[in-house]
This record gives sequence, structure tokens and C-alpha cells, in this order.
Amino acid sequence: MSDFWSFYIIAIVVLNLVGCAFLLFANLRMTPEETRSETTGHSFDGIQERNQPLPRWWLYLFVLTLLFSVVYLVLYPGLGRFGGLLNWSSVSQWQEEVAWVNKQTEPLFEQFAKVPIEELHAYPETRDVGGRLFANNCALCHGSDARGAKGYPNLTDDDWLYGGSAEAILTSIRDGRHGQMPPMAAAVGGTDQAVRDMALYVQSLSRPAIKDKPEVAASVERAAPRFAVCAACHGQDARGNQALGAPNLTDGVWLHGARLEDIETTIREGRSSRMPPHESVLSEERLHVLAAYVYGLSQP
Amino acid sequence: MANHHAVIEKNIGLMIVLILVAVSFGGLAEIVPLFWQKATTEPISTLRPYSALEMAGRDVYIREGCHVCHTQMVRPLRAETERFGDYTVAGEDVWEHPFLWGSKRTGPDLDRVGLRPITEQWHREHLRDPRALVPESNMPAYPWLQHATVDWSTMARTLKVFQQQFGVPYSDQDIEAQMAKVGGEWADATEEDALVAYLLSLGQARREQRP
Repeated sequence: MSDFWSFYIIAIVVLNLVGCAFLLFANLRMTPEETRSETTGHSFDGIQERNQPLPRWWLYLFVLTLLFSVVYLVLYPGLGRFGGLLNWSSVSQWQEEVAWVNKQTEPLFEQFAKVPIEELHAYPETRDVGGRLFANNCALCHGSDARGAKGYPNLTDDDWLYGGSAEAILTSIRDGRHGQMPPMAAAVGGTDQAVRDMALYVQSLSRPAIKDKPEVAASVERAAPRFAVCAACHGQDARGNQALGAPNLTDGVWLHGARLEDIETTIREGRSSRMPPHESVLSEERLHVLAAYVYGLSQP
Repeated sequence: MANHHAVIEKNIGLMIVLILVAVSFGGLAEIVPLFWQKATTEPISTLRPYSALEMAGRDVYIREGCHVCHTQMVRPLRAETERFGDYTVAGEDVWEHPFLWGSKRTGPDLDRVGLRPITEQWHREHLRDPRALVPESNMPAYPWLQHATVDWSTMARTLKVFQQQFGVPYSDQDIEAQMAKVGGEWADATEEDALVAYLLSLGQARREQRP
């Protein structure tokens, strides 16, 4: 702030205070003619307006506010460049607040960092601290109850795309994941019927009962030899491949929907799902606690 | 002096003038100097002007009233910087016309939303149906944005106004390049494309300065 603006602000503030004090004290006493008459001379419908001096308590309150502003301006910023004796600023207050909280939490996080995730998940503090971290960073996709949404995995069911080990969970959160399935319509035969056949085949893997219908059984039979192209990622037994993030197709857990239409869409158009990396927003210690929280969600 | 208050009390026009003088002091001391302070008039070094697509998204943001429920102003309070990111400084908003700080948070602050680990896909799904992803959300759905193409007819003029009236440092070549994209790759962009581009741009100026 330049000298001019600093002086300008000081001048306005001081003039205001002086002006208020002047107005107050200049109007304090009544003139002799005012004291002689009890009324202002206004009269309406026979009602007269009385004229009385300021009540004392009210006057003292006014003086108190003047004194308060003087004390305030000495302690806090208000007079141009003069920052006040307390040297307060909103930024310094924020820094103190952050430093104070860090002083409380850093030792805790350091302590947690020494505990392996497989043990840490059972700590009651992990529920609290990890829960907060989860609510702020994960809940918008995986839901506040961690049960996921269409396209965003449920974290409570112990069914894992990339593995449920502590290390795998930590890697998923820290580095993110990119699950890709290419469009497979041509590979499974190209026609709408071929896609429908394969969708029924995939559905029958977790719901064998649908094969009781002869037309479904026929579809499944037609699709079975073509499943070889799917097996490249999902495995010969269709139980998935956690190294690729290819889901297990036999367990009845559907990331992109369980309806036949959903499965057909997946086969026809493929899928591309991203879990963004979090190392830029969460420190290593916090990632550790968060991973423990997520690990604990599916533990019995 | 003594009886002069009677003059003011009996002359309503004079009273109005004096009231205006009295209330103007606060603004004279607190607001007027800001027009000449570097901290409030100079952009931070990493700030860059909006692309035409982001500008169109910003117009959608204003039209749909997003600023009524979402602020773009992280205050220097620990709880806020913990949740949203670095607190907002005046130099980030010198090219904002109008500014979209907002005053009420029904939804979360969005000033740093482009720095959050949130995918573009999530933004699209969330705009179309917020409750499909966040069941407890009370945000309205904006499913029509994915079907409406951006009305580009006023964009050339918008950029000119920002350049000439508001002093945003677009060069003439910048505007030409932006308008070439408007006629090319963005010609059929939907309002959802524009809005998501705008949301992802929020906070980018502060990316380099993150701890």
C-alpha cells in the first residue's frame, strides 16, 4: 500500500472518530430555551412531543463504542499500513490454525504409519480419521456408504477388480487405475444376435438357471466357443484377472449393470473407467490411513 | 451549534444528503483504495484467459444459476482449505466479469474443483443425474445440457468485449485461433462439453502453487 493510500485511510478513519465524538458532545447539552420548555413545540391531535436530554446509560454506551474503536485500531489493522500491535491478519490466523492442528495430528499419523494396514484397519481411530478422509475424497464416486454406484465399484463386498490386499488398495488410491474393455461386438460375431448370445452366455455364468429356457440354452451354446476372445482378459474360467482389472464374470457382481441390456452395451461399446490418482491431494501418511479404512470396509 | 439538529430533522432532503455522506465513509476507506492496489488489480502470474469453450461453459454456469448454490471463494479457514484446497486470492479473479464468488453454499465450493481428482466422465454423469452417484445430493439434474449444442453466435463479440472493455489480454491472434476452433472442432460441442471444460479449468492457475 502506497504512502498516499495509507494516509488517505488513516485520515478518513480518524476524522470519522473525531466527527462522531464532536457530534455527540456538541449535542449533549440543551439550549437555555430548550430547557425552559418541556416539549419540542410539536403538537398533533393534542399529543405533545417531549424534549429530554440523552439518557446517561445511552450516552455512556456511545462513549464506550468510541473507546472500543480506539483500542481496536491500536491492536488490529485498520489505520492504513499500520498492522496493529497484535500483528493480526487473516492469513496469519489461518497459518496458526493449520500449524496448531498439524501439531496435534502429525504425531498420530506418524504413529499410524508404523502400523501395517492389515492391523490398522481395526483401530477405532481409523474409523474416525479414515472415515473423514473417505467422506471428503472418495464418497462422491463410491458413495458415503462405500457401496458404489453404477460404474463405480462397491468397496464393501470383498470383490476386487485389482486385488483386495493392503498393497493393492494403497496402489489403487495413490496411483489410480484405468480399466479398459475394448468394443467386442465384431470379435464375438458382429451381428446383434451374436452380441445377444454372448450377453446371455455371460449372464448365465452367474445365473445358470436362465439356461432352463431352451432358447437361452441355444444362445449360450452358440456363444460358448466365441468366449475364447473374452478369456484373453477374463480368463478361461471367466473368473477375471486382477492384473488387468478384468472383472470376475461368475460372481454376480456387476459394475456396469446386471440387466441384459447393460451387458450387451458393455460388449458392443466396451468400457473405460478411471480411478484418478490421489497422491497430489493426500500425503503418504493419510493415504496409509485411508487405505486401512477401505481395507477394513470388507473385513468381517 | 446547539439547535442545528432541528434544522436537519425538519429538512428531509438535507437529511438524505447527510446520511449518504455519512454512509459513504466506509466505502471510501474500505473499497476505493482497492482500485489502486496491486494485490487486487494484477492477475497472479499463472492465470490464463478462458478458451472459447470454457467461456461458453461459464455462460451456461451463469445461465443455470450454478453460482446460486455453489461459491467460488475458499476462505482462509483451515476447515475450508482442508476440504477444498488453497484459499482464494484476489489476483485470481481480476479477469472475472462478473465474478462468481457466490454467497451461499448449498453445494460445495467449486473454486478448486478442476484440481480435484475427479474424472470428466464423473462430471458428465453427475450433471445428468446427481443422485445416481450421490444418493443424498439435492442438486437438480441438468440432463438437457448433453443434447443442446452451444450457441456460438455471440462468442466472437464476447471475446472482443473481454479484450477491449475488461482488459483481458487476448491478442487478436488468440481470438482468431479461438474462433477457428469454434468453427472447427468445437462447432458441434454440447453445452455439457462446455460446462465440463469450464469446471475442469477452475483452480488450474493455482496448480503450480500447490504445496
